[in-house]
Amino acid sequence: MRAQLEQYVNLLFAGAPEAAEVKQEILQNTLDRYDDLISQGKSPEAAYRLAISGIGDINEILGQPAAPASPAVPAEPVSESGKRMNPASAAVLRALGVAAFILCPVPVLAEQDVEGVIALLIMVAGGVALMILAASVAGKQEKDAPRTPQEKLRKSLNSLIWTFAAVLYLIVSFLTQAWAVTWLIFPMTVAVNSLLEAILDLKEATKHE
Amino acid sequence: MSIAGDLIRGHTDAVILARLLQGDSYGYEINKVISTLSSGRFELKEATLYTAFKRLEELGHIASYWGGSGPGARRRYYTITPSGREACYRLLSEWRETKEIMDKLLETEGNA
Repeated sequence: MRAQLEQYVNLLFAGAPEAAEVKQEILQNTLDRYDDLISQGKSPEAAYRLAISGIGDINEILGQPAAPASPAVPAEPVSESGKRMNPASAAVLRALGVAAFILCPVPVLAEQDVEGVIALLIMVAGGVALMILAASVAGKQEKDAPRTPQEKLRKSLNSLIWTFAAVLYLIVSFLTQAWAVTWLIFPMTVAVNSLLEAILDLKEATKHE
Repeated sequence: MSIAGDLIRGHTDAVILARLLQGDSYGYEINKVISTLSSGRFELKEATLYTAFKRLEELGHIASYWGGSGPGARRRYYTITPSGREACYRLLSEWRETKEIMDKLLETEGNA
């Protein structure tokens, strides 16, 4: 970890070769702080983080205007603006996907032939594509976000719905023997699931405003 | 360390000079003493500390030299100059006056 600290300070001063003495002094102070924290029983990771946060804004020294944030601090969360946009835009994509799923039986009901089935399949494909897109947009933000109670609730709600769908599928299929139709339970599950998530997303997005 | 921190930071130079009045010292040691004296409630960032050192050195209030205790650890030590002592005493009496005025201004009945 001491080597990493040295690397970090070297990186901080990478653009200022003329400040070698300053760097040496800051590095020594930072290493002293690190050693001190370790001797107080802190873990190497915690000591590393505290030592780095103790450096402060290096632009103060180099005589440049203060930057909004120090460069490349490992544990920095993603930018505010990225965080704000995602829930809402993911929710819109999901809502479109849900609409495609809900409307997909319409062509089959309207004209009971191959063309109707093809239209249905295209709509399902479009719906799936929208879902995947929504998931990737939302996923960017979830990576860094701390696990909140809401997220945990979502996870368990999700698995509950899918378990219920699988059980329902098997029961209905065996009772009716209509296997050609009962698979539709799964697209419907996706629709219900997504609708729920979209509602939760919009709720959170408006709460953030 | 919110409002109090900002107020103290406004007196960084005085704090450093007062510490150096006790004897030569280097960056982390000074910060450690500041942290201990404030019971862990206040501490300077390295950048702030260094900027203050540089400013005080340019003013001639402190001087520095490289020294080391133990192998490999080369530290920049700071020492207070005669003009630094003078500045320190001046800042101290200014602070006492400020403190006295503030105490009076903020004093209300039943809250001495």
